Amino acid sequence: MTSCRKHREWLTFLGFVTPNAVLFLTFTYWPIVYSAWLSFTDWDLLRPTHETVGLDNYLKLLGDARFWRVLGNTAIYATTVVIVAQVFSFTLGLLLNMKLRGQQIFRTVAFLPHVTMTAAAALVWVLLLHPQYGPLSAVYSAFGVRGPNWLDSASMSLGALILVGLWKETAFASLFYLAGLQGLPQECYEAATIDGASKSAQVRHLTIPLMGPTIFFLLVTGTIAATKAFDTVAIMTEGGPVYPDTSMYVYHLYTLAFREYQAGYASAFAFVFFLVTIGVLILQWRALARRVHYGE
Amino acid sequence: MAYLLLVISIFMLGLPFFWMLVTSLKLPTEINVYPPAWLPSEIHWNNYSDAWDAAPFGRFYLNSALVSGVATIAQIALALLMAYAFALIQFPAKTALLLLVLSTMMIPDEMKLVPNFILLTKLGWIDTYAGLIVPAIAHAFPVFVLYQQFRQLPRSLIEAAHADGAGHLRILWQIAVPMSRPVLTAAALVSLLGHWNAYLWPLIITNTGSMRTLPLGIAYLRKQAEEGSVQWNLLMAAAVFVVLPIVILYTFAQKQFVEGIMRGALKG
Repeated sequence: MTSCRKHREWLTFLGFVTPNAVLFLTFTYWPIVYSAWLSFTDWDLLRPTHETVGLDNYLKLLGDARFWRVLGNTAIYATTVVIVAQVFSFTLGLLLNMKLRGQQIFRTVAFLPHVTMTAAAALVWVLLLHPQYGPLSAVYSAFGVRGPNWLDSASMSLGALILVGLWKETAFASLFYLAGLQGLPQECYEAATIDGASKSAQVRHLTIPLMGPTIFFLLVTGTIAATKAFDTVAIMTEGGPVYPDTSMYVYHLYTLAFREYQAGYASAFAFVFFLVTIGVLILQWRALARRVHYGE
Repeated sequence: MAYLLLVISIFMLGLPFFWMLVTSLKLPTEINVYPPAWLPSEIHWNNYSDAWDAAPFGRFYLNSALVSGVATIAQIALALLMAYAFALIQFPAKTALLLLVLSTMMIPDEMKLVPNFILLTKLGWIDTYAGLIVPAIAHAFPVFVLYQQFRQLPRSLIEAAHADGAGHLRILWQIAVPMSRPVLTAAALVSLLGHWNAYLWPLIITNTGSMRTLPLGIAYLRKQAEEGSVQWNLLMAAAVFVVLPIVILYTFAQKQFVEGIMRGALKG
């Protein structure tokens, strides 16, 4: 009897899990296996036969200047965006948590960049940074100078991409910091005030440690999001002025696979991306997880 | 002092939206004025209808709404079933299976581009709704947050319902779902946002105008602007109507969104 009930439970479990499991197997697990195999072949997406080339793609990658350039750009982009956004958004979270007039409107505006379609936001930023049509040009012209053409210079256009990434990530993180701050135990602060701790000491010794889980969560999600930057590159710079000046890893992956039809090489590229991402996340985990204290 | 800092930060975050709105209402002749004016001399609504006609936006809108609507509903429905099963139904080696599902969050979607493109070519799904929707349905994130939520439901309630002879499907629908509204809303919003804003996958999987979604419409207009055939006032009008639905939705659901994610992803 009980065994019969147990088997019914098992069957129900399978029934509930199967639809999603089939999709995961088809569109997530199988592609990884297939991608691993493709990375050992030379294939152009069209030919009926694949030529197996062993580790050639991986060796080629190590000597490919474009690989190092896009890896470097992505590292600079992700590091800057994630770290600077934490500083901005933590400060902004503190500000949004104060009892001030118009706070509801501020909170709504602060979140908008995150929900705005990146393709459309990128378009707006092209205009904002435009030396003639952007609002900054009004400031420049007041001083009688011509503004820089951000998107025509290699170093500045990477800066432009970082700016947009920062804008979006700050919006996302600040709302989470705000929510975290609102959930902090007030007794601790009252006790600290009685003990004579200054406001800044309270932030350093109370708020930051208590916000550990939120900071950790935002670092991890921020890193994952930043390494995937694609939309802004595609709309704003297309990896230029001279390719791959401002190209990033995913954009280059797309270029290799769907513009240059190097499916095998692109797969090796994708696999390395996977390994690097996992590596970075493990490093973050080992550096931070032990220092984070989850309450309750 | 704090107030000033706050106002400056909000100004920086809001400036793109302000400039987008202002430019979208300017006369075409005002666009080329240097330096640009901070407000339009007169409100020029025609930009919106002109932008709408500059590309087949009616079709793009329909495609985006259909694809993100169906993908979101399917994603949440399947995640509900899976999360419920992992949280509340007996099965051997459940934890290992759950880890297998959650580990997909570590796999960048970009890794799957080439294999899935090849698979969909074989299925004949290139440039179809199925190609846009089906590969985008299964996602570990909603499974994860809903699983966390369902685990926290009071056991006694579930067992009482069982004793009354209710099956799992009924318990899910009549007890678990109503008790998990905030997390469910948050998961659905994340899902909808992801599908509505998706650019890379539709770019790869579609190749005719009739299947394009809104982000691709924006990219198309950007190209036109570079060639000088479409002006910035129209581009900004297009940006406004593309962004508007989600912005309105989030203005109302922002609090639920953040609380739901915090509850699902951080606690428990």
